[in-house]
Amino acid sequence: MSTASPPAADAKATSSIYLPEPCIVRSVQKQTDHESLYELSLESGEELGHQPGQFVQVSIMGVGECPISICSSPTREGSFGLCVRRVGEVTNYIHQLVEGDVIGVRGPLGCGFPLDELHGKDMIVVAGGLGLAPARSLIQYIVDQRSRFGSFHLFYGAREPSELLFRHDLTRWRDNPDVDFHMTVDQADEQWRGKTGVVTTLFKGLPKLSPKNTAVVIIGPPVMFKFVVIEFLARGITQDSILCSLERRMKCGVGKCGHCQANNIYVCREGPVFRYGRLKAIREALA
Amino acid sequence: MLDRVVTQSGLLELIEELGHTHQLIGPVARPVPECDPPVRHFYQRVKHAGQLDLSFSYCTYSPKEFLFPPSETLFNFEKVDGRFTATPVLDEQRRALVGVHPCDVHAIELLDHVFAKDHADEHYAARRSHTFIIAIDCPTPCTSGVFCADMKTNTATQGYDVMLYPLATGDGANGNGQTRYGAVFGTEAGREWLYYNRRFTSPSAEDERSFKAYPQTKAAAFTRELNTTVDKLPALLDRSYDSLLWEATARRCYSCGSCNLVCPTCYCFDMHDHNELSETCGQRRREWDGCQLPEFAVVAGDHNFRPKAAQRLRHRTYRKAKWVKEQSGLAGCVGCARCDRACTAKISSVEVYNQLAEEA
Amino acid sequence: MKPKVAIFSLTSCEGCSLAILELEDRLLDILGAVEIVNFREGMTPRSWDIDLGFVDGAVSTPEDEKELLTIREHCKVLVAIGACACLGGINTLKNPQGKDSYAPYVYGDQAKWFPTTDAKPISAVVDVDYQLPGCPMVKEEFLRFVQCILAGRTFRLPETAVCVECKKNGNLCLYEKGVVCLGPITRAGCEAICPTYGSKCEACRGIVSEDALKAANINLQEQYDVSLEDVLADLRLFGAHQDTTLP
Repeated sequence: MSTASPPAADAKATSSIYLPEPCIVRSVQKQTDHESLYELSLESGEELGHQPGQFVQVSIMGVGECPISICSSPTREGSFGLCVRRVGEVTNYIHQLVEGDVIGVRGPLGCGFPLDELHGKDMIVVAGGLGLAPARSLIQYIVDQRSRFGSFHLFYGAREPSELLFRHDLTRWRDNPDVDFHMTVDQADEQWRGKTGVVTTLFKGLPKLSPKNTAVVIIGPPVMFKFVVIEFLARGITQDSILCSLERRMKCGVGKCGHCQANNIYVCREGPVFRYGRLKAIREALA
Repeated sequence: MLDRVVTQSGLLELIEELGHTHQLIGPVARPVPECDPPVRHFYQRVKHAGQLDLSFSYCTYSPKEFLFPPSETLFNFEKVDGRFTATPVLDEQRRALVGVHPCDVHAIELLDHVFAKDHADEHYAARRSHTFIIAIDCPTPCTSGVFCADMKTNTATQGYDVMLYPLATGDGANGNGQTRYGAVFGTEAGREWLYYNRRFTSPSAEDERSFKAYPQTKAAAFTRELNTTVDKLPALLDRSYDSLLWEATARRCYSCGSCNLVCPTCYCFDMHDHNELSETCGQRRREWDGCQLPEFAVVAGDHNFRPKAAQRLRHRTYRKAKWVKEQSGLAGCVGCARCDRACTAKISSVEVYNQLAEEA
Repeated sequence: MKPKVAIFSLTSCEGCSLAILELEDRLLDILGAVEIVNFREGMTPRSWDIDLGFVDGAVSTPEDEKELLTIREHCKVLVAIGACACLGGINTLKNPQGKDSYAPYVYGDQAKWFPTTDAKPISAVVDVDYQLPGCPMVKEEFLRFVQCILAGRTFRLPETAVCVECKKNGNLCLYEKGVVCLGPITRAGCEAICPTYGSKCEACRGIVSEDALKAANINLQEQYDVSLEDVLADLRLFGAHQDTTLP
């Protein structure tokens, strides 16, 4: 005789996985015309307790929710960062927030970078456009825990100088002797004195890699992903050592509502960080 | 082995008693003179067991809505001085779901799995843990076009509190002209119900004999609709991703989502905020959604990951016949054919499976 | 400053304007938040300084056209309410008959005193910011719209077919009764009120998508033994689709 067990009969009758926690806006820094950086902390005083690469659902009561990648490392205690592009209803509201405002946050959600596996490795991080936001959570982590990693090469490509994010960080990374940082823009303007061209043009100066001990993290638009993967496969990096973060319409964030599916994968639950070895079999993932 | 037996009238009396502590939900006949037969059945709330028609063929909709309603409030919120409070809404009404066929028992098992796994959904769990499921087995297919036997979902050995097997309607020692049900419990609550009510009696030797013969008679009554087997569907689909069949079928598809909405295993949803006129309070609600609806896979910035009906149709077919099974071990499609009946474009799931089989 | 709201009627039964009055107690909540400056069904005109203007009715006379141009000029945001304003509505039934035929039919030998044109949606004459379709418009949708506008949220019509709401209501599909209902190709938002009460959908909220209309053309010819003429007549009733063929 088998028993049909009603699921989670012990679930606390007063809670809900869909209930956001109040969260205080500590600071707002405009990044570009479309993006702003928000430093937030939970009103409860607790740490968010996230891993680099995870995301949260930001709630504006009466408007709705929107998934946003966490752009700060858990090693930076006291607050966490969200870099928000104004693209829809909820993000429009977020862009009206000022210091001291209270919003709702659910999370951290999803699976971040496999840190245990990355510790001890030579790290290559390639970020394109807004992809620098989730990448920054890992970059900060590597910088803060520098002794736990081998060499660290960081590449960042933006469309044009006016779209560069985290300008203070860019300077700091450039000046940090422990970070091999390179950046480029697709289209320069008159003031731009840096490099011009797609992000893959930055790889020319890369030393010979030791494939067994190197992990590559790629976050950016799908079209960039493809060209960057080719570069590193060509340098002998294995498919499972290439990690990437996907963007989908995460709604529930807990692997149920179905919106973020790429074929058979619930990006919100199994991702957003995936190995290329896994992704290549998912036809909708890089479309 | 049967646990207990009960006559139809005894059963109805027991259900009536259950109604003192539980909301009763079960198959109710609605006259539809334009249809042949001129009646359709729907799971609905009743005050008295006598309103139920336990000899129903099939219900137009599955009982999913009583565990996962088309629209429900997840929490109420209130906004005061730039801050908010939110209070979850959990439905702990006791319900008895009467007359659930094996296909729908399988579907509920899938919902149980999905809503419980990883992050347990308290809203579903609250309803589910307060629902007593009285399943009724189908000795014959409930209507033409169903393919539950192909999907191996026309029998169920778990997922219910009590399963009833209609045994005989003859005029023998057992019959008295009315259906006699053999009962098997699936949970402790079901066991208690069977053994603490005197209207349930011990099965007679004739009951046991007829129950022993039941599976064979039943198996013979179910014809096959699928030209392949359910176990071969995943491999079949592996080879069919780029088939032109998706385009060919999709030219008829309205993308109206009816197949999703009537499907007992579809559980996708969307969440919306509803504001009271005062704008200071409101609800966050979830509503059924469907992967066939054109905007289902739209992300912020208006990019649609599945803009074509053919892509959406393929997605649905893969979920029903391959992905859900691979991920949960449970049936993604239970062969109830509600989608086939609901499709005004007359697109048929079983026909799609058969065409894929033919192609491969 | 409360937003100034006006409600205008062109050629129509003014049922959509009346629907606003039918909101009764909830209307009072809105009235607290806005100032109505022009509303023929409810008051005499007071002002032409308008933030939010609603128009019901189709453009069916040269007079309508002139009035509409004036309205547009004075409204910061212009909203078409009801099937007539959004699609041309039931007024468009006269169009295929030709002006020389319908004018004398209605007005007899006095026709020359009643200038009339083919009926058209207001979007055929002026830019329209929002549409709230339906015959009559859906009161709940109107309320949600006003709420969104007042709170600064975006308002969007549902992009799904009536079938979605019909199924959520638990209705028996009318196709099972042999009725060719326009639900699969019609924009939702009406809570499937007609099929819920047993009548087929006649697309008063307009076509949900060109793709759905294409599918209808294939299905009606290949899957159903119905006269395309009858279906086209249903589609013409509220002006949802005026062409004599399906795409």
